[in-house]
Amino acid sequence: MGVEFLIINTLVLILTVIASLIAVLLRDLLAAAIALAAMSLLLSLEFYLLQAPDVAIAQAGVGACLTTAIVIIAIKGTKRMEEE
Amino acid sequence: MSEMTKIVKTTANILFPFTMIFGLYVIVHGHLTPGGGFQGGAIVVSGCALLLVAYGSSWVFDHIKDKRLATFESLGAIGFITIAFLGLVFSAVFFGNFLTGSGTLFGTTPATGSTLSNFNTGGVLPLMNFAVGVKVIAGLFVIVLVMAHASSIKEWG
Amino acid sequence: MEKRMIAGILVFSLLAVFFFFGIFQLHPFGEPGQVQMDDYIITHTQNETGTNNGVTSVVFDYRGFDTLGEATILFSAVAGVLLIFRRVRH
Repeated sequence: MGVEFLIINTLVLILTVIASLIAVLLRDLLAAAIALAAMSLLLSLEFYLLQAPDVAIAQAGVGACLTTAIVIIAIKGTKRMEEE
Repeated sequence: MSEMTKIVKTTANILFPFTMIFGLYVIVHGHLTPGGGFQGGAIVVSGCALLLVAYGSSWVFDHIKDKRLATFESLGAIGFITIAFLGLVFSAVFFGNFLTGSGTLFGTTPATGSTLSNFNTGGVLPLMNFAVGVKVIAGLFVIVLVMAHASSIKEWG
Repeated sequence: MEKRMIAGILVFSLLAVFFFFGIFQLHPFGEPGQVQMDDYIITHTQNETGTNNGVTSVVFDYRGFDTLGEATILFSAVAGVLLIFRRVRH
């Protein structure tokens, strides 16, 4: 539990917050879905760093892949760009 | 969803077997390594969703019947509850682990402490992993498949 | 518009106060508060369930009812999706 763990942990958490902010602010919904997938993948990396590999695998499979697939299917059924 | 270009199809063809094998490995080794039925099933369904995105939902819908997937989902649930009730029958506790220490299927007990992993351990845990794996694969894949097929229909009669 | 902004700032600051309160109440990483149950499971899981993987033994053996509830959730989700989209199938 050295200082490297603290640095990597904080860096991953800051990147998670940045990815979720990008997902909120983007007007292009497809790009927002990809940003959400990146946020989920970073969250899974954070779970792995906190020594919970079970939760990390579940988060990477369900959060990063299946949720993105369902959201992209919904976007293809409606419109891609968000209106003002 | 409509089908995509040849590049996406080739990439999906290369990636699909590896995803499948890794997911089945996580399910089968659920009592030895991190992961289990739910995690491995989610990985397998990730590969199936890759195939769905690459080849289009109508192609997949022609080859796989969603009614059959729903049947497999129910079969997984029935198997899980059956194993739980077998615990009630053989060891007088619901979810009782009646196979461990019996010396038969999955019946070896490992030595206490840090030992090498033996596949033939765990009692009913591997069987429950199989049941939950079948259930999660069929359930999540039928959800994604039916939603993708519904989004490709133009008008709702 | 003005009222909505004030209400949003109020809710956001309330949420931030709750989160910071929760962060300062956390244990340090690797030092949980109550350890009796953890010690029991770590000591006895290899004898009682016969696995080397403690997490799986908790999920499927010690806390099997949680997994049963999760299976029920997945079953009802599949049933709901197939019920809503039943017109799709020809």
